[in-house]
Amino acid sequence: MNVTEIISSLPTIPGIVFNTVGAVFVLIIAIAIGKGLTIYLQRSLKDKIDKGHLDILLKVGYYGIITLAIVVFILPLTGIERSGILVTGGVLGIVIGFASQSIVGNLISGFFLIVERPIKIGDQVSIDNNVGFVEDINIFSTIIRTYEGLYMRIPNQTVFTTNITNYVANITRRFEYVVRIRYSDDAEKAIRIIQEIIDSEPFALIDPPASIFVNNLGDNSINIIVRIWAPITEWYEMKTRLLLVIKKTLEEHGIEIPFPQRTVWFAGELQTRKLSGNGKDHLPEEESDVLTEEMTNNLPQLQEGTKE
Amino acid sequence: MFDKYTPPFTINYEGHEISVEKEQGNLIYRRTCAYETTEKLILDADGDFLINPIEPVNLPKPITSFLLIDFERPIMIGPASKQKIYLTFPVEMGIFISSRKGEHELIDMFTLNMSKYTLYGTPNHGIMCRYWKSEVFASYPNLDIRYEGDIELDIINDTNNWIEVKKSVFNAFGMKIYYGTDRTSMRAFMRVVSRNLAETGFMTYTTTPEFRRSMELYTARKLTLSSIKGIMEHGI
Repeated sequence: MNVTEIISSLPTIPGIVFNTVGAVFVLIIAIAIGKGLTIYLQRSLKDKIDKGHLDILLKVGYYGIITLAIVVFILPLTGIERSGILVTGGVLGIVIGFASQSIVGNLISGFFLIVERPIKIGDQVSIDNNVGFVEDINIFSTIIRTYEGLYMRIPNQTVFTTNITNYVANITRRFEYVVRIRYSDDAEKAIRIIQEIIDSEPFALIDPPASIFVNNLGDNSINIIVRIWAPITEWYEMKTRLLLVIKKTLEEHGIEIPFPQRTVWFAGELQTRKLSGNGKDHLPEEESDVLTEEMTNNLPQLQEGTKE
Repeated sequence: MFDKYTPPFTINYEGHEISVEKEQGNLIYRRTCAYETTEKLILDADGDFLINPIEPVNLPKPITSFLLIDFERPIMIGPASKQKIYLTFPVEMGIFISSRKGEHELIDMFTLNMSKYTLYGTPNHGIMCRYWKSEVFASYPNLDIRYEGDIELDIINDTNNWIEVKKSVFNAFGMKIYYGTDRTSMRAFMRVVSRNLAETGFMTYTTTPEFRRSMELYTARKLTLSSIKGIMEHGI
């Protein structure tokens, strides 16, 4: 038996087995490369990209390599026609697209949210009138923790198509008070006192400067507008504290916040005038006493009425 | 005031009483003044205490690493020239505990100055800065070191125009503060690149036993070189 006969007598490896082993081998290599790339990107970009975006980037890189390996190497090895796959995939895509319109919409919206970056994890935002902290931005949805501590999942399509207010996108923020003082008080003095309070506040910014001015001569009060700029991290604490400080300091200087007032004229005004002025002497003594008693009895009610 | 203290001790300094007492093998650190009291229990009786100036961007709480010095009078500097001026900066004091191995940790800080902050630039692209208004001196000023230190500033005009300089922004990550018995100082430069752009940074002094370098809170170990500089791109 010569060598040729020995070789020909050996069992031949079927092509399909060879191709299958090759495809598995290529897949393993692709997974290894994907893992390697993931680890490399994670180490090199850890301090440069926030965690949410890094996770997405790693997943895209990993699955991208595997998909590339399947399309370029594994499909030819297994003998599956790519054109056939494309046709099948196209038809399947239309069917799945119709069936999962909202899912795909959320996915694409999520992609654009990542690219546009109107919000970041940790931001305080209002999305579709839902206000809170951004906890996570996933592929399909955005997670909000409301100020009441509630967990809220908002689909990315909603996030992308609705108005978003990001409260912390800029580093400063302005807040405003309306301080009402009596007409008998000195408005310039009040403005000076408020300015001194603001000057002594570390986080009331020098630039942009605060503005304090008489905005309106109201029915019952002079209305002073106080606008203060503060760092975005400090404005809320300042806003909740400073108004009370302004109120107390104004009161210490004899400037008070007025009640709404209304002057009431009575039908018997002439008689009232007679009683309160010299005219009292001209009334008969009995009539004068009766009127005085009536007025005294009505006085508390009148006072309450004026305060409303 | 700026010195090393071994407990127990009590210091009275401009309305602030700083004391460290021993109690059952531990230390009680206490600082009291008219408007606040700070008290800490330190579970190690072997430490020494060091009081020295720190970067003036920490109080009432650290929200930025930038210090903006607003000049009382603007200065004009000629084309392609270098001039030296002296500015002041607010002194903030840090109280550190140091172990026998020499490791330091900040436990408290205070200042005798009023703190104020400002925005440099625009609300969306600017930076938050600790604000300080300073007179501009042509020679070394005599200052009350309880309140102010001096910055020896070299202004370098790299342009071919006269430039007006009204302010300077410094990054605390590059600050090197030195202190002696009668002065607290920094040495810095401001390189004017154009009418609206400048770069600031810090330089070192030669230290002596009487003029020492203070402990730094803002260290730039993990940062690139450019991050320790102040880039003024919103006007000078």
